[in-house]
Amino acid sequence: MSQAVMESDRNQAPVLDIDPYDTEVLRSPYAFQERLREAGPIALIPKYDVYAVGRYEECATVLKDHEAFTAKGGIGIQDIRQPGDFRVPNRMLENDPPGHTEIRSVLNRYLSPIAIRKMKEKFEERAAVLADELVEKGEVDGVADIAETYILDVFPDAVGIDLPRPNILAIGEMRFNQSGPQNELYEQAMQKAQPYLDWFEHSCQREGVRPESIAHALFEAEDRGEFPEAGLASNMTRSLVGGGADSTMAGVGHSLCKLAENPGQYDLIHADPKKAGLAFEEALRLEPSFHVSYRTTYGEVELSGVKLRPDTKVGVYFGAANRDPRKFENPDDFIIERRSAGTHLGFGIGAHICIGQMIARAEAAAILGALARRVKRIELAGEPVYKPINQMRMLQNLPLRLVAA
Amino acid sequence: MPKVTLINPDDSRIDLDVEVGDSIMRAATAAGIEGIVGDCGGGMSCATCHVVVLDDAYLAKTPEMSLTEDQMLDFTAMEREPNSRLSCQLVMSEEMDGMVVRVADPQL
Repeated sequence: MSQAVMESDRNQAPVLDIDPYDTEVLRSPYAFQERLREAGPIALIPKYDVYAVGRYEECATVLKDHEAFTAKGGIGIQDIRQPGDFRVPNRMLENDPPGHTEIRSVLNRYLSPIAIRKMKEKFEERAAVLADELVEKGEVDGVADIAETYILDVFPDAVGIDLPRPNILAIGEMRFNQSGPQNELYEQAMQKAQPYLDWFEHSCQREGVRPESIAHALFEAEDRGEFPEAGLASNMTRSLVGGGADSTMAGVGHSLCKLAENPGQYDLIHADPKKAGLAFEEALRLEPSFHVSYRTTYGEVELSGVKLRPDTKVGVYFGAANRDPRKFENPDDFIIERRSAGTHLGFGIGAHICIGQMIARAEAAAILGALARRVKRIELAGEPVYKPINQMRMLQNLPLRLVAA
Repeated sequence: MPKVTLINPDDSRIDLDVEVGDSIMRAATAAGIEGIVGDCGGGMSCATCHVVVLDDAYLAKTPEMSLTEDQMLDFTAMEREPNSRLSCQLVMSEEMDGMVVRVADPQL
């Protein structure tokens, strides 16, 4: 990097000398998030030579303005257009309109509210069965026994792919560390996933896809020539598995944790289980499943008066934006009646807003609602432990005591 | 503040104040109007804030329909009509003052 470039960064974007992927930051990101917001509208992270945004307005702008901030450089810290990155790009997410939109509108047909309404009944049936078992046990782990067990029970049928727990957890850990820097977490996750790589390679193919599922519909759509290019049904199935399993498990875990920590808020959903969805939304505001996602400056662009370098990665920190006091009153408080759906950035915003958000909402509302009907109080039976993952915010353990109603 | 009138499925009418720049969906859910669900909060993902604009002259004053809204209107629980809109996309302007919309039924 030339001295001139450094000078201009010093004059323009403030330098924030902190590692957003430090294990301690990943375990407790709040201090980092505040420093990022208060550094300025955008900051330069010298360790990786990338920009970072943490204020709500700027985060939303970077995600929405795809002409200034392209997704084609990939959603991770590496520029996938450069040699050396071996990740399989997501041909919809790591793309911009209009190419992106052409693919997305095909997907929209098979992830439409009509398709999802049909899934809801099954989600609720399975949630009722699991909730009965959980109440019987009393002491459970909110991550392993509730979030993982429930999502890995209902999501494979919905998406149409078998998702054995050890396989999908190892692959998820690999994918969401792989989109960060090549640190120790990255190396460890790659190693742990080795035994499952072959399974993952073959899991999103046409063979073995479950009937009446989203993947099944996508392969049929491909046969009818609905997609603009070949191979998209498999590529999109792969991205639905990646986007729909880990992030939803994370969101259900965070919801349970916040409800246990805020008994007054739990009382609201116990009194009216239809409000379970509000708790999920507010948990996603406070603890969005994704720590960060990237765009890349397209040419020399300006953001809030700061001149940015071309072809440089910009990390959007969702958790920082969702706790920005410029946007949310008492931002650190868990208040389900805030009704922040559509305002918080937990599902992103703009062209790439989460395409499976209604599936996630239906799943979360089903399991949280089923518990709310049966459980008078959810108590923490130990300290919640977070799992450091480069791109994600997720719990590892959540010891809970369910007090039957 | 400009107003819109919502006609509920039971034919009752509600006059709703909507701030300029706010969407009819947001104003309706904030006011606790049951017929407008708006699960996704305005992300054009749930199609549960479906309304029908009664007067063509008013329809012309509403924000232009995007491709995504048009597509989502094919997935509403009540079949779309020529003047169907998602109320999350009806961002209020002074010109829209006095508009009357029918709330679709069902939404879910």
